[in-house]
Amino acid sequence: MSSPVVELKKVSKVIKGKKIIDDLSFAIEEGEVFGFLGPNGAGKTTTIRMMVGLMGITSGDILICGKSVEKEFEEAIRNIGGIVENPELYKFLTGYQNLMQYARMVKGVSKQKIEEVVEFVGLKDRIHDKVKTYSLGMRQRLGLAQSLLHDPKVMILDEPTNGLDPAGIREIRDHLKKLTKEKGMSVIVSSHLLSEMEMMCDRIAIIQNGKLIDIQKVHDEQESKQKYFFEVDMKNIAILKNRGISYEKVDNGIAIEMEKEEVPNMIQLLIEKGIRIFEVKPISKSLEDRFLEVTTQGEKLHA
Amino acid sequence: MHKLIVNEWIKIFKRPGTFVMIGLLILGVIATGVLTKVYSNNKQTANHQWEQQVEQEIKQYQQQISELPATAVSVKKDLEKKVAIDQYRLDHKIPPAKEATGWTFIKDSSALISFAGLFTIIIAAGIVASEFSWGTVKLLLIRPIKRYKILLSKYMTVILFDLFMLAVLFVSAAIIGFSLFGTGDGNNVHLAYSNGNVVEQNMFLYLIKTYLLSSIDVIMITTMAFMISAVFRNSSMAIGLSIFLLFMGGTITSLISSRYDWAKYILFANTDLTQYFDGVPLVKEMTLGFSVFMLLIYFFVFQLLAFGVFTKRDVAA
Repeated sequence: MSSPVVELKKVSKVIKGKKIIDDLSFAIEEGEVFGFLGPNGAGKTTTIRMMVGLMGITSGDILICGKSVEKEFEEAIRNIGGIVENPELYKFLTGYQNLMQYARMVKGVSKQKIEEVVEFVGLKDRIHDKVKTYSLGMRQRLGLAQSLLHDPKVMILDEPTNGLDPAGIREIRDHLKKLTKEKGMSVIVSSHLLSEMEMMCDRIAIIQNGKLIDIQKVHDEQESKQKYFFEVDMKNIAILKNRGISYEKVDNGIAIEMEKEEVPNMIQLLIEKGIRIFEVKPISKSLEDRFLEVTTQGEKLHA
Repeated sequence: MHKLIVNEWIKIFKRPGTFVMIGLLILGVIATGVLTKVYSNNKQTANHQWEQQVEQEIKQYQQQISELPATAVSVKKDLEKKVAIDQYRLDHKIPPAKEATGWTFIKDSSALISFAGLFTIIIAAGIVASEFSWGTVKLLLIRPIKRYKILLSKYMTVILFDLFMLAVLFVSAAIIGFSLFGTGDGNNVHLAYSNGNVVEQNMFLYLIKTYLLSSIDVIMITTMAFMISAVFRNSSMAIGLSIFLLFMGGTITSLISSRYDWAKYILFANTDLTQYFDGVPLVKEMTLGFSVFMLLIYFFVFQLLAFGVFTKRDVAA
């Protein structure tokens, strides 16, 4: 695969002697939606602000399309479109005038491009109204529009769904999907809402206390092996051991790791051996389980 | 860069407050004009007797000088200046402009420069701090433009706004002055006194120079307000402190200067450069070069603080 779009290299941030971000390293590939998950105060916002250059980096470096945010700020930031928390726009200007403000700050944004972006976020009817008359959802859409003006390679969104109603959240999600599919953009989203992230992201990094705890793919089903739960009569279960099948005992049954194709064979085997089966199901941990699992582990480490 | 300045300019002029400021300034000029008109009607004197009057004035001044205590140096110098100018009038047959004319009105209106300065300070104090209080600074700083350029564009916008206000003041004073008082008798000469000599100056150039020189303190205080705004992100503090200094700084400095020599290092002792062209310096050994040097030092300290803090700052919250 091509070189990563965004790369964090041993990034640390110290504020007033406190280490807020500790040695964070990861990379984001082209066209993926990368989630950034962690409890409040874990350092999500700080990390994102370092990526967009709002905060300085104490040590380490962040590369955007191969350019350092610290040393080649203008070249690096050119590839980024961002919304940091709720987009605060100039309320005394109209939506269009706001977009013009941002369009003047980058080279080569045509009038046509502005219209196109306005159309994309569905603000065409209200774009010439003052922003102070907008609802939160509309401001969010205008925020999205300003970040798209210069066709960035990466979209960075900090808590984009904060304060939105379910319809608004869904809208943002649909927009992001469209962007990654149609324009091949990478998206970095931070949130503490698990369900949200699960629906939006391809990969999720979990951070806590400024440390990277885990990076996980969201859709694990594609992976060949998975655990299956068999609710069975435990009486003759030892037979499996003789056949060299490893299993672990859980409540009311056993859990075995295997490929999907093998499941019917296993059921047949169990029946042949006279083991009664009550239920068979794949054990798919929800992201929440995993999140809680890793973060509580982390907590124990820090306790 | 010019596009950034366009941006800032739009942000200033899309707010109704700005037009209120311009309106108040013009209103101030109109009020001054009307008041001057009302009072000048009482003071009309016949022009042919001016030579006797001037001679009388000179005698009065000279008497005052002889009665002055030795300590009142600045008063003495001021009187000497008046005597010199009156003598020059007699020698060259230039009658004093007793009646108000459009020209004198423009000169008198230069007193309103602090008023224009007040509004410029309000703009300067808000131009950085407001971005923080609106929260728009986040979207402003994630553009592919280095921070110092953004701050520089804001500073240049402030200076442009100051010049704009000066122009509004000058033009409105000219319109009102000439329409209320006429152009006078075509005697467009200003008599300036410097280093013991009296010099004739073209009135129009003299006025432009007076306006620009008088706005030096406004520009310095505006720079300070801008610095406070960028460093502390607090527009009310920037406005309060700057306006206090704008109106009180000069008074306090001249109080100090009557006792201590170090007053010459205070910013406000140096902001009035007209004292070298058309008057007497505040502290005896001060020169134009010294003042310009001090102004430059203050200017760079303010800018260094503003740019140093703004470009390094972490934008949180």
